[in-house]
Amino acid sequence: MRNRFAALFAIALVAASSLASSAGARRQANPLTIYAAASLTEVFSSFDRAQRYNFAGSNALETQIRNGAPADVFASAAPLNTQRLFQARMVDKPVTFTSNRLVLIVPRSNPAGIHSVYDLKRKPVKLVIAGAAVPVGGYTRTVLRKMGLTSVLSKVVSQESDVKAVTGKVALGQADAGFVYATDARPVRTQVSVIRIPAWAQPRIRYEIAVVSRSSHKAAARAWVKKILSPRGQRALRNAGFLPIPKASR
Amino acid sequence: MLVVTTGVALLFLVLPIVAVFLRVPLSDLLSALGSSAALDAIRVTAETIAFAMVLILVFGTPAAYWISSRRGAVRDVVVTLVELPLVLPPAVAGIGLLVAFGRAGLLGGTVDALGIDIAFTKVAVILAVTFVASPFFVRTAVAAFEAVDPTLPAAARTLGAGPGRVFFRVMLPLAKGGLGAGAALAFARGLGEFGATIMFAGSLQGVTQTLSLAIYEQFDVDLNVALAISALLIVVSAVVLLSVKLMTRWHSGSGSLILSAPSSRQRN
Repeated sequence: MRNRFAALFAIALVAASSLASSAGARRQANPLTIYAAASLTEVFSSFDRAQRYNFAGSNALETQIRNGAPADVFASAAPLNTQRLFQARMVDKPVTFTSNRLVLIVPRSNPAGIHSVYDLKRKPVKLVIAGAAVPVGGYTRTVLRKMGLTSVLSKVVSQESDVKAVTGKVALGQADAGFVYATDARPVRTQVSVIRIPAWAQPRIRYEIAVVSRSSHKAAARAWVKKILSPRGQRALRNAGFLPIPKASR
Repeated sequence: MLVVTTGVALLFLVLPIVAVFLRVPLSDLLSALGSSAALDAIRVTAETIAFAMVLILVFGTPAAYWISSRRGAVRDVVVTLVELPLVLPPAVAGIGLLVAFGRAGLLGGTVDALGIDIAFTKVAVILAVTFVASPFFVRTAVAAFEAVDPTLPAAARTLGAGPGRVFFRVMLPLAKGGLGAGAALAFARGLGEFGATIMFAGSLQGVTQTLSLAIYEQFDVDLNVALAISALLIVVSAVVLLSVKLMTRWHSGSGSLILSAPSSRQRN
């Protein structure tokens, strides 16, 4: 009995170590680990399939990097998250690489009959937004403030952890309306209708990208950031519906 | 060798639990438990799990009794169906609940017509918890009913007791240790429910945000609150597990009922 346990234990050890070394070997063979805002899911993964991605709310990614997550590059949907890490010397100097705008989406069937942002105030509605710490959640609150619609926050039925969770709940018809980036409405355009938000109410949305200080592939990471800033990278973002880098922050 | 492997395994399992308590001083944990996010989550969790447990006990007990009295293919199919949520990933449970009871789901229209509003309400949380936790109760309850010496209900029947009387006066009292253990396990699982809830019910403080969901949200807002809620759940889970051990030891002289399959008949 004792011997059999020992044998099992040895097998488990060997298996675990070979798994670990093969994972290590794969990492040597180049892919960078890119932590990116959920809204970049489609554009990043189709622009460069060779890298490994972790898409989530930028605030969650910030916390993970702060706790030592093995990221090489961090692309955030708001400057706050990159700047906080920069101040903590955990990422190199961030640069702005793209922009976006907010829209309101409703399910195609539009059960609550929402045809303008102001309908959110007039009609009973199950509104889904992202949490205040999530960039898109912050931008949503800015829009509501600018439009004098903060009372609408009382109609929020769920605060999601990233923009894709908001998109999913509306696309499934579970929620009546949700605030997402224009680029998130595109992949689900057969399931949702888009209600535009006037330009004067749009928040200043800036995406920032930075190389993680502790990355062991800093040269490759810097090259990848350059690639995103290059005409080719910018074209890919533009084609996905992202907006050019705002002039002031170039 | 055996001592070493056991030691390694034990250390691995215990370390994350101890770490939760060591990260910040205990006084910080206690004061973080007083935050509105934590207090709201405690209230939401208590309300929803109480309802879920009522549903699980009221529907699960007769179901377990029925299963325990059957043999053959029908029983196997029913047992498999009941146990399926046990092994399903919570994400599958969440998607399933959405497309079944969601507003655009299979029964969405019917539920709406009945005037019941499930989407993003506590009802959704209760459904999610009931779905994932009930197998833990039913499994254990079936084993508990089967562990009852079959000559006892038979004797009751020959003495003229009807099926209802046999169930309430003979089977329930004799199986109550196992039923209690099953209820405790379902409670513990329901307490930690996360995946199905966040997908099906969403997350809103004071309404649908249970303790597990609050940990997830507070993780990158206020780590102390996340740690405090984690510590609370560890304590509650430990108490539940201990009480299961005591209950099963007390009533059947064996603490391993938790892990036994429903077909543990051979034990008697």
